Amino acid sequence: MNKARRRKDIMRTSVTWISASLAVLVLTSIFVFVFKRGAGTFSWSMLKDDYWSKNYLVAFGDVAANDFAPPDTDSEDEFFSRKFGFGLADSVDKENNQLMLVTTVSALSPLHEGTITTAGPDQGKVMAIPLNARIRRIDYLDQENNVKSTGLLGQDHSAEGAIERLEQEATAIREIYFQSTGGGIRGSIIATLMLIGLTLLFSLPLGISAAIYLHEVAPRNKVTDWIRAAVEMLAGVPSIIFGLMGVSMLFRVTNLFGITTQSVLLGSFTMTIMLLPLIMRQTEEALIVVPGSLRMASLSLGASTTQTIFKVVLPNALPGILSATLLSMSRIIGESAALIFTMGTAISDSPKISQGATTLAVHIWTVMAGEQPNFELATAISLLILVLVLGLNVTVKLLTYRINKKWQV
Amino acid sequence: MDRKEKKTIQAKLDSFHSRKLWQDKIMKRIFQGSALLAALMIFFISYFVISRGIQPFLSSYGDEQQSLIAFISGNRWRPDIAPPVFGVGFIIINTLLTSLGAAVLSFPISVLTALFIAKIAPPKLRAVLTTIVELLAAIPSIVYGVFAAGTITGLVKDVGDIFGINTYGGNSMFAVIILLAIMIFPTITSLSVVAISAVDRSLELGSIALGASQMETNFKVVLTSAKSGIFAGLALGLGRAFGEATAVSMVAGNRMIGPTWNPFDITRTLTSTILSGMHETSPGLDYDMRFSVGIILLLVILATNFMIQVIKRKVGGVTHE
Repeated sequence: MNKARRRKDIMRTSVTWISASLAVLVLTSIFVFVFKRGAGTFSWSMLKDDYWSKNYLVAFGDVAANDFAPPDTDSEDEFFSRKFGFGLADSVDKENNQLMLVTTVSALSPLHEGTITTAGPDQGKVMAIPLNARIRRIDYLDQENNVKSTGLLGQDHSAEGAIERLEQEATAIREIYFQSTGGGIRGSIIATLMLIGLTLLFSLPLGISAAIYLHEVAPRNKVTDWIRAAVEMLAGVPSIIFGLMGVSMLFRVTNLFGITTQSVLLGSFTMTIMLLPLIMRQTEEALIVVPGSLRMASLSLGASTTQTIFKVVLPNALPGILSATLLSMSRIIGESAALIFTMGTAISDSPKISQGATTLAVHIWTVMAGEQPNFELATAISLLILVLVLGLNVTVKLLTYRINKKWQV
Repeated sequence: MDRKEKKTIQAKLDSFHSRKLWQDKIMKRIFQGSALLAALMIFFISYFVISRGIQPFLSSYGDEQQSLIAFISGNRWRPDIAPPVFGVGFIIINTLLTSLGAAVLSFPISVLTALFIAKIAPPKLRAVLTTIVELLAAIPSIVYGVFAAGTITGLVKDVGDIFGINTYGGNSMFAVIILLAIMIFPTITSLSVVAISAVDRSLELGSIALGASQMETNFKVVLTSAKSGIFAGLALGLGRAFGEATAVSMVAGNRMIGPTWNPFDITRTLTSTILSGMHETSPGLDYDMRFSVGIILLLVILATNFMIQVIKRKVGGVTHE
């Protein structure tokens, strides 16, 4: 080989190395970006909180002042009420509105035993003032038993002022008006789980029996080829078209159930159709690796085709069907375009099957589409989605590896 | 065993068999029905999207009837003015520009990576890279969208600043192209790996026996032989690029007139048009027009697949002769 050819060879080798390292670079930068930006916002309270902050008016039955020791971790910005055993601090929200947040509540503080007086289903229930609650107004009794208020809607507009006034004047607390924190994704997590459950309920039986037909029952003829080709075409349709189909066609089906808006049920119908090619392909691959000798042995022992399919073939194809299920779950978690149409973009804290709600992915879409994109929350949810989806895919990979080992493929 | 006993056993067996046969028939119908339903879905989808999408162009639509020619050739998309103007022509051009741009960027890198995975990488590295490509394919588009809005737009803005171009905070055609290139990379790569691995080993050995080096063989024999599979990958990648909705909408910027020729300017694709302002739309003309755009999207994807088939036949024909 002469020098010029050798130089060309080295160049060619290095181009492929560079291309491959670009792939690694892209995946790494996505990981670094999502983990770095999302980890700060990601917390337990984000997972379990409502998205919308709620207003609460909580009465304390004129509970009298006591003497509480302030907590050890007393910081500069935190002001502690020795009389009632709670701490307040000033803060601002994203829109630069002033907030007064509860930072500590002592163990024996009367704030643990309030009664909700806001009208609604929760009225009369006992409620503790949660940490990070946004205090709007505190009504208290002074020495002459007059009701007075402090807080952002009362006389004082800072935590320091409010606490000072309570310490000097208050003899008892009557009512506290506050807003819960909000900004959580509990509702979207529930909606995602509902969608996964419903979709699998519809799509697994349909997809698996279609796959059984194609692999176990169907004659090898033109019609079967034609069915295969049609399903394959379905796999190439973009998800946004599924969304359009959902609102124009499946909407009529959900109408039969008396649902007249976008709903979780409509979303699950749409996802069912969208996942059919995936489930059919995965199931069929699982059926292919089940050895033909098993079927013949079963049939020769006098079992019918149905018995053979349900008692011999399907149990042996179970790991493959399981990976189809896991992959479907990962697709449902990640889907956004079709669900924006069929489930709507309004975030719901208590999702119902017959009403619109957002999954985690659509939750991201909603908070990013607003006037002021909430980037922190979006990356935190992305982190959750990424971990779930990649976890499911890695599980499927391990599962496939084990099946192949079992049948020595 | 007397005759009577024999008879009852026979009768029991017969009923057992007939029940089994009957059960077989029912189950067979159920399986067949599921498969037919799955196959019919593609026709249902086409029918329902098309029948609603052509409504605005029919005279039965009433006062708001749209002109088909103005729709196809229009260069403005203004649902917000009265009377609204819906022209999809420039959006088609934008979509073709961004998707083809992404393909031009992604195709060489994907094919070279596939060659690396299939032929060059040591076995352990091959397993790692295959997993990486699979993970990239599994990442949902909304996460790509957040990633693009957080990093790619910043990158584009910085580059724009260097040249003194205002980039609308980085939302631009350029950002869409980079995003789509990343998103179609795993599709093209994984199909190319399959195609390259399927190339007959004897072709390779023949080339080496004639004095070509391993790398020359890889580039001149393996890649050309795997051409048809690689083009199938490109077709699938382009299909994904055309149909990608949420991620693109997050960085496209949705320009109202066009087409966009300047890569640093904001753009509007078919999918971002279907999605834009979804939450404030109620059933009506603006809503129905999304279906019309959906038809155009389906047609663009069909036409591209057809073109790629033609190209494949032409390119493939040269090597076989």
